[in-house]
Amino acid sequence: MVKKLLFLCLMSVLSVLLLGCTVNEYERRTDESNTLYLGSVGASFPTSFMPWLSRDGIAPTVASMLYNTLFTYDDTTGEFLGLIGKEWYYVDKEGNPILTQDGKIDYEALETIYSGSENNYLVVKVIIHDDVYWHDGKNLTVEDIYYTFDIGTNNALSNHAGALAWTADLQHTYSNGILTKQGMFTYENGAADKGYEIDESEKDTVMYLHVNKVLGAITSLFSTILILPKHVWEPIVSFDNQLNSKNPTAESLSHYQNPIGSGPYKLDALNSNAQVITIIRNEDYHLRDDDDFLYKVERIKFMLFQEQNVAIYALLKGHIDILDATISSNYLTLFEERPDIFVSNASGIFTQTLVLNVNPATSEKNELRDLLGITEFRRAIALAINQEELVDNVLNGAGMTSSAGLLRESLSDFYNEDADILRFDLDQRIIEANQLLDQIIPDKDPQGYRLLSKNRIKYSILGTPGEQEVISRLQVQLQKIGIEIEYKAKGSSPERTFLYNSKFDMTLQGVIFSLSNADIMYRAHFVTLSQSSNYGRLTDSVLSSKINEMRLSLNLNYKYQLLQELQELIAYQYYKIPLYTSNIISVARTDRYEGYIVVEGSTIFNGDSLKNIRRVEG
Amino acid sequence: MQRSFVIKRILYAIFIFFVVLTLNFFIPRLGVNDPAERYYPPQGNMSEIEYEIIKQVTREQYGFDVSTFKQYTNYVSGLLRFDLGNSFKADNPKVSDLIAERLPWTLVLSVSNLVISLSIGLIFGTVAAWKRGRWQDSLLLNLSTISVALPAFFIALILSFYFGFELELFPAYTNPNMVSQFDWSLDAIKVVFYNAALPIISMSIGGIIGYSQRTRNSVIAVTNEEFVLTARAKGLSQNKVLFKHTLRNAMLPIVTAVGMSLSGLIGGAVIIEQIFNWNGMGTLFLEANNTNDYPLMMGIMLFMSTIAILANLIVELTYSLLDPRITVGEKR
Repeated sequence: MVKKLLFLCLMSVLSVLLLGCTVNEYERRTDESNTLYLGSVGASFPTSFMPWLSRDGIAPTVASMLYNTLFTYDDTTGEFLGLIGKEWYYVDKEGNPILTQDGKIDYEALETIYSGSENNYLVVKVIIHDDVYWHDGKNLTVEDIYYTFDIGTNNALSNHAGALAWTADLQHTYSNGILTKQGMFTYENGAADKGYEIDESEKDTVMYLHVNKVLGAITSLFSTILILPKHVWEPIVSFDNQLNSKNPTAESLSHYQNPIGSGPYKLDALNSNAQVITIIRNEDYHLRDDDDFLYKVERIKFMLFQEQNVAIYALLKGHIDILDATISSNYLTLFEERPDIFVSNASGIFTQTLVLNVNPATSEKNELRDLLGITEFRRAIALAINQEELVDNVLNGAGMTSSAGLLRESLSDFYNEDADILRFDLDQRIIEANQLLDQIIPDKDPQGYRLLSKNRIKYSILGTPGEQEVISRLQVQLQKIGIEIEYKAKGSSPERTFLYNSKFDMTLQGVIFSLSNADIMYRAHFVTLSQSSNYGRLTDSVLSSKINEMRLSLNLNYKYQLLQELQELIAYQYYKIPLYTSNIISVARTDRYEGYIVVEGSTIFNGDSLKNIRRVEG
Repeated sequence: MQRSFVIKRILYAIFIFFVVLTLNFFIPRLGVNDPAERYYPPQGNMSEIEYEIIKQVTREQYGFDVSTFKQYTNYVSGLLRFDLGNSFKADNPKVSDLIAERLPWTLVLSVSNLVISLSIGLIFGTVAAWKRGRWQDSLLLNLSTISVALPAFFIALILSFYFGFELELFPAYTNPNMVSQFDWSLDAIKVVFYNAALPIISMSIGGIIGYSQRTRNSVIAVTNEEFVLTARAKGLSQNKVLFKHTLRNAMLPIVTAVGMSLSGLIGGAVIIEQIFNWNGMGTLFLEANNTNDYPLMMGIMLFMSTIAILANLIVELTYSLLDPRITVGEKR
């Protein structure tokens, strides 16, 4: 009886499994339409598309395709490119644009005009395109922008910390839901009273902003905040039903899930779920490529893969067109001799550095860490590090060496080659490093390791398991100057465990500096002492004051000059020592689409590719 | 079984539940940085006061704006109302709703895995024990050795690549529309099991070998008991000796193992779900972990712990029912 029961049980399960056994079809293989199948590696897809709440995984990418910011920022030129916005410039007290004869911003004049001004703000005039439409057909006007920024600053209505942070440089403030200082002016919102002339014909397209007196004040306002439709959100949002409420109403939820944006794509909600997101081209998008659509792909299907190996195989087998993920250089051999696969080996923008704990908190000081406070000692370590070897072995050649000034060469307007002080003959560097160390700590043990108070000089480097290889290489490299290195796992919250409280010798840290983040990042990495990226608590008055001067300068050309000087100052600190900049490797199939564009710092799924790729005929 | 014993075990389970609940609340907080600093670093010319406001708003948003003890009491009082809190996901869905949404899909895998593992394991283990020293027994021993060296995720990857990508007999990963299009029709059920085939097989291989080994050892132990020898001496048929006397008495450790494995029903498929894109509790947990979604993480952990506590309680209470020779809680 038991035997029969077991047999029946087993057979029923197996038969149910086999019942479903039909020929397996993968949609992409038979899809003749202009649909791009895009694999994305992550834990899940969002089902809510309120753009301000879209923070993790693919959510910001999708949100940025459904909605628009005012402008996008081009890191290499330092210019803002129009999206909703058409043009912008600073204006003087009379509302006259501060421009040079060729229509560019006159930074010298800006500095002259505003340095002496009693106002503690800059006035920015923004002109938007008059043919921008929301996905429901309504015209996008400056009132939508006013509403977006206004609600962002009013935490009684939005309760959204991100929006407060993004609008922090706008001098438009609320206190308990009451406007205490107005910092935006449109035709319908006090422009005339403030003395800003806006013609009635321009009432939908012109606005003025009062922003903090730094050049970086406009960056997040222009290029971070996705503009919301006033006509959708104003009737819903109230003190009782804040944007980002913990208990959103059914109406709010419905708008989260069926977004109305102004971006180049619309959400196909019916064909989207937690594992696939489908977006379709907005045929009425205001930006065009002459007479053609700006983006050539009609429909994009984002397909979720939770395991990268499975996603790579799905690409190889033709289930998807592009894998939107950075893959390790170890996988490159998989794509060799595959003419149907395009490998994008784009230059990276993150520089991996070795950070030394140069100024630990008093409770964490010891004689070994005291050595790290000596500039010559740090220089010796920096000289011994062989970036070329790290690039060849850790990155399998898919990367490049970096300047000690920590800025990438592609940012040619403000890259300073004089800061590149560590790239000369390795043998010479090792000799110099040993000479420096011989003066500081001459004693060595029989194995050649240097001795301090009869103990080996030994430091641990915090890293993740994935970073063990680079630490092993550093172990060998620093052995040449008699310093012993060991790996120490940094764990899941290294800031709290080790970094913010000085409980470390050295750590690995990825850094990225550019014009768009210079105001924030230089201070965070080299000035701020508590809970910042300045893990080793460097304090240098010259560097600090130069960073401050750079942040406050209103003259972009002078700011560039200061950035160049900063690179040298940073290089000579030997505090964050560059190890390498790894390339961003991503892959795409070429049997359905061609014309992919490789963009620095991006995977193959980038704006330029989307504007350029075309369906392969036949 | 005495009533006082039952009450004691239930009270003990409740005590354990509260210990788990407390650890579950405090452990994730040990590694939490200020969420404001994680998500919103200071911008441009932002003043300290402005940044403090931003941090306060974020703390309110994430429920970190009151003392830890108050957070704990809020959490416990919420649990008494079966409220596990709200996830940090964009539209702040209830954790209980998310668990309810994903749980059935995990149960498809884990219950199928249990049924298959147990059925085949019992048969295979009994045969190996009965044919002790012969090729059936050697095969089991060799497979056991191999299974130790091959973790389930590796088997899953091999199955996905070979039967999914290469031979295309089964889906290499779950059809992304399977969940959204499920409507309880026979076709939809077929699609679910078709997509579940490789994950279930991946999970079952280890289970089959495990149960086989356990059954084999248990059957061998019972085979040497006097009552089995007596049954044989009485001239009963081999099948009767095996199924009526041996297997029945060898079941106790297996039932115990099944009881214990109930606690792993929910959490045992994390990696398998990840490989096959299966939209279950395992991937929900990974999602919570990747996004530092503490309410969701705590909710899932508590749910899994509760299942484990209940499973242990049931196993303990049913011992005496399964084997009348065992008298739990009774004075000798």
